[in-house]
Amino acid sequence: MIDLLDFWRDSVPQLLDGLEVTLRITGVALALGIPLGLALALGVQSPTSSIRYPSLAIVEIGRGAPALILLQFAYFGLPSAGLSLSSFAAASMALAWTTGAYTSEIIRAGLQAVPRGQREAAVAVGMTHIDGLRFVIVPQAMRIAAPALLGFAVLMLQASSLCFAIALPELLSQAYIIGTNTFRYMPILCLAGALYAAICIPASLAVASIERELSRHTA
Amino acid sequence: MLSVSPREERADALVSRREYVRVEGLGKSFGPHRALDDINFAVRSGEVVAIIGPSGSGKSTLLRCLNQLETQSEGSVTLAGITIDAAKPATRQQLTELRRSAGMVFQSFNLFPHMSVLRNVSLPQERVLGRSRKEADERSRALLSRVGLEAKADQYPNRCSGGQQQRIAIARALALDPKIMLFDEPTSALDPELGLEVLAVMQELAEAGMTMIVVTHEMHFAETVSDRIIIMADGRIIEEGPSAEVMRRPTTERAQRFLNAVKNR
Repeated sequence: MIDLLDFWRDSVPQLLDGLEVTLRITGVALALGIPLGLALALGVQSPTSSIRYPSLAIVEIGRGAPALILLQFAYFGLPSAGLSLSSFAAASMALAWTTGAYTSEIIRAGLQAVPRGQREAAVAVGMTHIDGLRFVIVPQAMRIAAPALLGFAVLMLQASSLCFAIALPELLSQAYIIGTNTFRYMPILCLAGALYAAICIPASLAVASIERELSRHTA
Repeated sequence: MLSVSPREERADALVSRREYVRVEGLGKSFGPHRALDDINFAVRSGEVVAIIGPSGSGKSTLLRCLNQLETQSEGSVTLAGITIDAAKPATRQQLTELRRSAGMVFQSFNLFPHMSVLRNVSLPQERVLGRSRKEADERSRALLSRVGLEAKADQYPNRCSGGQQQRIAIARALALDPKIMLFDEPTSALDPELGLEVLAVMQELAEAGMTMIVVTHEMHFAETVSDRIIIMADGRIIEEGPSAEVMRRPTTERAQRFLNAVKNR
């Protein structure tokens, strides 16, 4: 028992380094992916087909292909096309794509949930289409989508463990390295799992309270 | 009844005023359904026109064609000097100018729920008229006090009663200095008591000389505040004339039937 606690204590610094990478890659994926999702959500609704069809293609590929394939495509596939990315850059790109594709559907639902009258009011006061989106529709849509987006963010944190496949030194990779060196897979994976849970469970609770907060000023 | 009300005096003076709205041969179809058919009328500056009629008669559609929330299938609408014809699509600039000239008040208020009352009134001024934040806020506060709601400026709309929300919506429309105000059943979503405070604001506007077109089921308002009444049924204008005359002596059988139904309740 003491032995196990010592093992965990010695492993913690390396796992925390991994956790930091996990948080960074998740943060980058969301910071790039959610704006992309908004752009795609607006893009798939565009009356202009030269915007709509490319947007649809990006969304369908992003949702259709497993995140693991996108990761490997970015890391192992792109170099043959002349583009070599670091594992962090490749992971950012792939996970941002996945995030963009999935969140575009969440945001699209949010856009559609804004009452029709809001659009009409923006038009009737003479705002341009862009202004109407920017000040009236998108802020309300994002509020409606926020709980689902935050829930998706928690999922992405867990999905970032897939980056282990392209040698990004995130939490799971670090645990795996320790496991390989010590052959004590079970205890180290339990500790890594506990660290994921230590982030995800409070995050889920925070999502619930943010959800209550956001519902205050809806129509 | 007053023999010579200020309204009737005003009506005499109206004849010489210029036309703000002219609708010619307006038609609107939704698929096979004919919502509006050959609508013709004009509204002069300072006039208050009430449009009444049974549900589904096309009143709201007509009003929405005036500021192009609906585009007509045939005919033309001229509002504040801008003519939109069904034959050729309106330019973006025409539409912006048209909507700037016409303030619209909706049955369901349609305030922006994520902004304070003050922002609701100020934002369109900043974006559409290019006023500074300070200018816009000053104007907004003045208008909010005109509709009796200065105290609500920093609240959110959902903290206000329906009557208050509708008065805020009126202030928001007035903030753009419209030449004409369009009201689409402004009191239909309100209980009678709250409706009264909205009608009072509208009456004050009418007395101040605002040109108004009001789609309404408020017969008393139509009779006492408006200069003219248009009665619609089945997408057509079936009766039109000075308010008192139309209300007391409708000429068509359909109009008589409608007025009997709404008066005898």
